[in-house]
Order: sequence, then structure tokens, then C-alpha cells
Amino acid sequence: MTFRVRTIDQTAAGREIVREREIAKDTITIGRAAENDIPLPDLAIEQRHVSVSQTPSGQLKVEALGTLGFTVDGRTTKSATLSPREGSELALGSYRLEFTSASDGAIAVTVRSAEGHDDHAKDALRGFALASVLPGKRAVAWAALAVIVIAFLAVPIYTHLTRTPAKPSIDQRGQVLMDASWSPGPLSAVHHSLEKNCEACHVKAFVAVRDNACLACHKDIGDHAAHARLIAARGPMSWGAGFQRAVANVFNKPGPGACTDCHIEHQGSGPMPSTRQEFCADCHGTLDQRLKDTTIGDASDFGKVHPEFAALIDTAPNQAKPVRVSLAAHPKQWDGLRFPHDIHLDPRGGVARMAMTLGKAGGYGAPLECGNCHRPTADGVRFLPVNMERDCEACHSLVYDKVGPIYRTLRHGDIAQMQADLVASDRSGHAPIVTGRRRPGEYAPGGLYNSNFAGGSGVVGRAMSPDGVCGECHFATRTGGRLGVMPVIQRSRFFAHGWFSHADHKQQACASCHAAKASKSSTDLLLPGIGKCRECHLGEDSKKAKVPSGCVMCHSYHPREGAPATAELVAMREGE
Amino acid sequence: MASVAGRKYAADERRRDSDHESFLVHRRMRWFKIAVAISIIAILGYALADVKPRPNGGSWYGYILGTIGALLIVWLSLLGIRKRAMTAGRWSLKAWTSAHVYLGLSLIVIATLHTGFQFGWNVHTLAYGLMLLVIFSGIYGIVVYSMLPTSLSNNRREMTKREMVESLAAIDRQLEHAAQPLGREEADLVIAALEQDPFGYGVWTRLSGHYRNSRTEAAIAAFSDVRNKSEAEDRVRALLGKRIAQLQQIRRHLRLKAMLEVWLYIHVPATIALLGALTAHIVSVFYYW
Repeated sequence: MTFRVRTIDQTAAGREIVREREIAKDTITIGRAAENDIPLPDLAIEQRHVSVSQTPSGQLKVEALGTLGFTVDGRTTKSATLSPREGSELALGSYRLEFTSASDGAIAVTVRSAEGHDDHAKDALRGFALASVLPGKRAVAWAALAVIVIAFLAVPIYTHLTRTPAKPSIDQRGQVLMDASWSPGPLSAVHHSLEKNCEACHVKAFVAVRDNACLACHKDIGDHAAHARLIAARGPMSWGAGFQRAVANVFNKPGPGACTDCHIEHQGSGPMPSTRQEFCADCHGTLDQRLKDTTIGDASDFGKVHPEFAALIDTAPNQAKPVRVSLAAHPKQWDGLRFPHDIHLDPRGGVARMAMTLGKAGGYGAPLECGNCHRPTADGVRFLPVNMERDCEACHSLVYDKVGPIYRTLRHGDIAQMQADLVASDRSGHAPIVTGRRRPGEYAPGGLYNSNFAGGSGVVGRAMSPDGVCGECHFATRTGGRLGVMPVIQRSRFFAHGWFSHADHKQQACASCHAAKASKSSTDLLLPGIGKCRECHLGEDSKKAKVPSGCVMCHSYHPREGAPATAELVAMREGE
Repeated sequence: MASVAGRKYAADERRRDSDHESFLVHRRMRWFKIAVAISIIAILGYALADVKPRPNGGSWYGYILGTIGALLIVWLSLLGIRKRAMTAGRWSLKAWTSAHVYLGLSLIVIATLHTGFQFGWNVHTLAYGLMLLVIFSGIYGIVVYSMLPTSLSNNRREMTKREMVESLAAIDRQLEHAAQPLGREEADLVIAALEQDPFGYGVWTRLSGHYRNSRTEAAIAAFSDVRNKSEAEDRVRALLGKRIAQLQQIRRHLRLKAMLEVWLYIHVPATIALLGALTAHIVSVFYYW
């Protein structure tokens, strides 16, 4: 067994000095002491450190002789088996010994000093950390911080402070850059065009949106009442509301009574959320306690506290102005007409039969329904006035004469013409078709044409009498000797302060609210009371309601169509 | 007297136990309980608060949650400073870390309720998103800290990182020596393998553990194809096998290490970015008041 030991030393200049010698032994020892087969002068190595011997299979067995181990292929151990065929490296202190098998069967041992290799190992150790392949946390953090602060703070603030003042406009984009990133949510549909013009409303930095910003566009908006009355009407705040108000004051929020109190923006596209009933109930819940002269009842919740409706009606003939009367008193109205709904709507009565006789071609063909006479307006909110010629005359014929095949008809609404026509027909030679005598046939009562000219003195007098063709529906008058009828009042709107749309109630049958079938006289006010509405509508927070209903479902804070507008505009308040 | 000694022993036991107690179960999960209580109170408040027209960060309840959330975020980010001083006792770093983890988790509830579930492409949702990024990277961090160290330790097989590097270097030296008798083409394969830096891979390769273009593996494939290998080729093939085994240990180590460290590269910069976005969020609200 031969070990061929090759020692490679380096001179200071870097030149290699190679010495070779052969050791013919089965076991060699390596250590610091000179008597070792391979002496290595390194204090980290023990005097007799390891022994190397060949096993029968040709492997090399390396064993530590002392307490210190050695390193094989980078691993520290105290005993190892090396394969000289594959080659193995033994590290001792600062020396490295490479064992390989030579072609002649000897074991070649190359001994090298391994000074100056530590730096490489240290570099490699650093490579284990992720920091070696990623940008530093600090650098990334600063960069992200800088981007965010510049884009979302510096740019909008700078451009806001340096913009040229402009009147708010829905046609222009704002001058402030990047402030869209500040928007907490889309504006409502009506303000959509202001989406890119934040400073139209947010005029001054750190100053909450003021009424002036709203009034810049909403110039003509009317206020709810005189400002002094609004202040007087405001009820005491609850503890929570008072605290919120105090905090709002600290943060320089406008109000109470500011536009933004009720109208809250940035809640999403679509309609602006309707104002909550509590904003109305603040004052109206106990209004009578503070406004002693008020004529309106307290209201805080439609389902709980709300006065009975008051309808605007005439209660007597020749009334100067209509009056508001509570439905609670079951008032009778004066409309200048004799009209029993019950007869007309009776499905088995003469009217029904007549309508069936007239047939589909005549526009009927079935017992009368409400819609045969009451036609909705184009928007479906209300109804058009009933029109005599269109809605009544098919049955209530004004035919008074027949000349050859031609029927002569009175002109509705023109009394002088009616007088002249009837007098003229009276004078003519032929017998009028109406004589007052009842006889069977198509001109008889219940027949196709039936104008009752009977009774009274003369044909005109008979027509105007309560049984006559005019007096059947109208009340005759005589003013300054001239014959006439009381004006017919057909009201399209009964509730001055509330809003009701028939269009929104299309799914309901008329009779579910209007008790027309049982009404014998048109003096009956066929309006449903609040109790009927409450079958579906209760207050905003009601859990039982089929339709939870806040105040603004029927009422408007700002005067709207038909309401008695207070002249005072919100804009005036700012000047006070 | 025995009872005094017994008490002292019990006290020492407690101290010893607490020294080895995870921050997750610190003080019988005191901060977990506090965080759960805070979250439940916040949720109950959200359900009961009468906020109209809809829940919103700008309502009174929204402002309360927002203030709590902002203070929490600032305090949580102070761990970065606090952790540099390791102390024991009532305000120990462990207690602080435990609170950091659980209060940070409760922030998911508080901040989400603060949003009123209104999100958009704005600085407010940016702040919220960054906050979630920070929190979820933190959750990931806790999970890997509790799971991966065992794998890391198993993979080491009692070797230090230095030993792994030195082992590879030793194999490389032998390879260089063993490859001397080889021809040009084969020698080039060995040189290519030796020149490839085992640490010269990006974060994705480290995390996935899929090392494409590994020249050592290519060289092994090439040498395995050679029939009737010469003795030198045989040796080189065997050494390449040793090299790839060593490389694989290093790669597994790199992978576990990367998985352990990567969350901090998100958690920390995202925290700083969050502080910026939070500032922008608050300033913008009051600027366009």
C-alpha cells in the first residue's frame, strides 16, 4: 500500500512549490507533530489528529485520534470512509488533503494550504438570505411612501391652492389634479356632471361644503318657511344629536339647517338618498309647542303621528275660495252637479244595460267602469275633468228634433243657443219628437235617445227643471234675468301640501280606495282617509309596513308645484 | 419553610415556562381575548348604530371606528421600533408582539366596518387594501414561522450554512481536479456547471424550487448518456452526483428561507406605504371637508 504525498506550498510571490514523496504503509497518521506521516504545522491541528487506513474494499477509513474532528466534503465528523476512486477531500485546520487513486494503484494525497478562501465563503453565506436578491425593505418602503404622498397628497393640494378661482360649472372639469382619488364614492345622478369638478363644492381647504356652493346653481330654490319661524320651530336636541352637533361645530361643519344636513352626497350613483323623516320630525313632531299659531297638526311618523288629511274643497255654492277640511269630519263637498255614482256603477241597473246596448262600437259594451268617464292625465298622476260630450252624451242625449233622417242636437254648455234652438223647434210646424208623453220605442226612457223636456212652463223651462234634460244634472240659476247653471267644479287636486300619484298606485283597483259604488250623491267626498293609506304605508322605520314611507314620499321641504310657495328663497338667508 | 421554597420553585417554573411560551399563547391568550372582545363590540355597534342613509365612514359611528383604526395602525407599526429593545416583564416585547398580532387581526373587523362596505378606486380604498396586504402578509408570516423551522432544521442534517457552502466548494475542487483528463466538450460541461452560482437565482426560483437551466443537471444528463465511460468520466459523473445532492440541499434551504423571509419584504414596505396612504386618506377627508 503506497501513499504518494504531494505537498503544494505557495511562496509569498504566489509561486507554487511542489514536493512529492511516497510512504509505503497501510496506515498513515496526520497531525502537528513531526513524527506523523504527514506533518501539518497548524495550531488548530492536534499533535496526532487522524489516521487513514485502507479497508479491504479499497476505501479509505479516516478516524480522529483525539477529541477534535475533521472535515470531509465540508462536513465535520470524527470518522469517515472515503472513496479514492471518486475522490474525497479532507480538511484539517487550514489544510486540505485530497485523496485520489492513481493509475498504478497508489493513493495520491495532495496537501494544500487553504489560506485566503474565507472571503468567498462569507459572500456565499450572504447569498442564503433573501436580501441578496430583493431590493431592500427600506428602499421599497421609501419609494412607495414617496409615490403615495406625491400622487395623493402633494399634487391635489398644490393644484388646489394654485388654481385660478372659477365659478362652479357643470360644463367644466375642475383644475385640481388627482383629487378624483379623494372621492369617497360616486355622486348622485343629478350631480354626476360635477364628478370631475370637486372644487365646485369643496371651495376652500378644510372648510366643509357651505350652502353658497349649492345655491350657486340652485338659484331659485324656495325655503321651507321664513327663517325666523324655522329657528323658532326647531325642537330640542336629544343627547346624542346634541353631542354630534357639538362635535360638528368643533370641526366647523355648517348647520343646523344647512343643505348638507339633509342632502348627503357621495353615497353612490343613482338617485340621491331621500331625506330621512327625522329631519322633518325635529320640528314637526312637536311643532304646536313652539309655534303656537300653527294651523298644521304635529307629524313625526306617518304610521304613528300624522294628522288626518285635509282636502281642499268647496262646501257650499258660490263659495269665494275653497277651504281645507279634515276628512275626519266626513265633509260634504259642493261640485255643482247632480251625479249619483251608485246608479252608474250598478252592474245590473239600467245604466249597465244601456252601456251594453251601446256596444263596443259605442265605446262601452259592458257595465260602466270608472275608466269609462275618468281618464288619467298623460303622466298618470291625476285625472282629466269628465267631459260631457265624450263621457256622458252617449247616453244623456241632447237630441231634441228630427228632420228627415237628421237628428238635431242641443249644444252643451251654451244656454242661449239652447234656448234659441228649443224655442225655434217649438215654433216649427211638425210635431217635436219629444212631447213629454211616455211611450215605448227608441225615444222612450231607457231607449237609445231620451231627453226629458217634460215639466215646467214651456220647453226651456221644462228642460231646466230638475227632471228636465239640463236640470237632471245641473242646478239652474238666474242672474240678472239670464238663465244659467251653477258652475261645475271638477277638482284635479285635493291635497295642497301632500303629493299623491295615481300612477304609482296603478296596481290597485279604484274601488280599493274610492267607495264610489255606494255613493248616492256627488256631494260625497270619495277620498280615502289616512287609515286607508296606512294599510300599506307606515313610517320610515316601520318593520310591519308594506311600504315604509318617510315624509318626503308625499311632502317636499322646498315648495313645489301647486304648493303655496313661500316667497323667501334659501339664497336670501345667506345675506342675513 | 418548605412552602416558601415550594413557592419559589413554582415561581421559577412559571418564569421558565413563560420564557419558552410562544407570543401566540402569551398569558393564556390575553390579547386574543381582548381582540375578540373589541371585534364583537365593533360588530354589535355596527348592527345597532342608527346610521342613515347607509353605513359610511363619514357617519358618527364611522368616525369612531376610523379613529380607533388609525390609532391602532400607528401603534401596530411602532413594533418596528419597539422590537429593537428586548425587555421582559409587564410590557415585555413578547406581550407587545402578542398584542401586535391579535390587535392587528381585529383591525380587519374594525377597518372593514369603517368602510361601510363602500369601495372604489380612491385613496381611501388604497389605504384599506394596503392595510389588508399588511395584515395578510403578517398572517402568512405567523403561519410559516410556526411551520417551516422544523423543515429547515430537518433539511440542514446538522450542517451549518457555512458547511453547506464549503462542502460544495470541496466537491467543486475535486471536480476540477478530476476533470483534467477529459476532452474539450466534456471539460466545458464541467466548467459550465462549476461557473454557475448556486445563489444567482431570483426570488421566484428560490420560492418555487424549480431551477431551470441547472448546468449541473445538464452535465449529469450528458455524462449519463456516455457509454463505456473512462475512469475519469466515471469519477466526474460520481462527483457531479454529489454536487447535485449538495445543491439540492442548498436549494431546499434557500426555498424555506425565502418562504420565511419573503413576507417581511411585503409587510414592512406595505406598512410604510400604508402610513402614507392613511395620512392622505385623513388629510383628504378634512381638506375636502
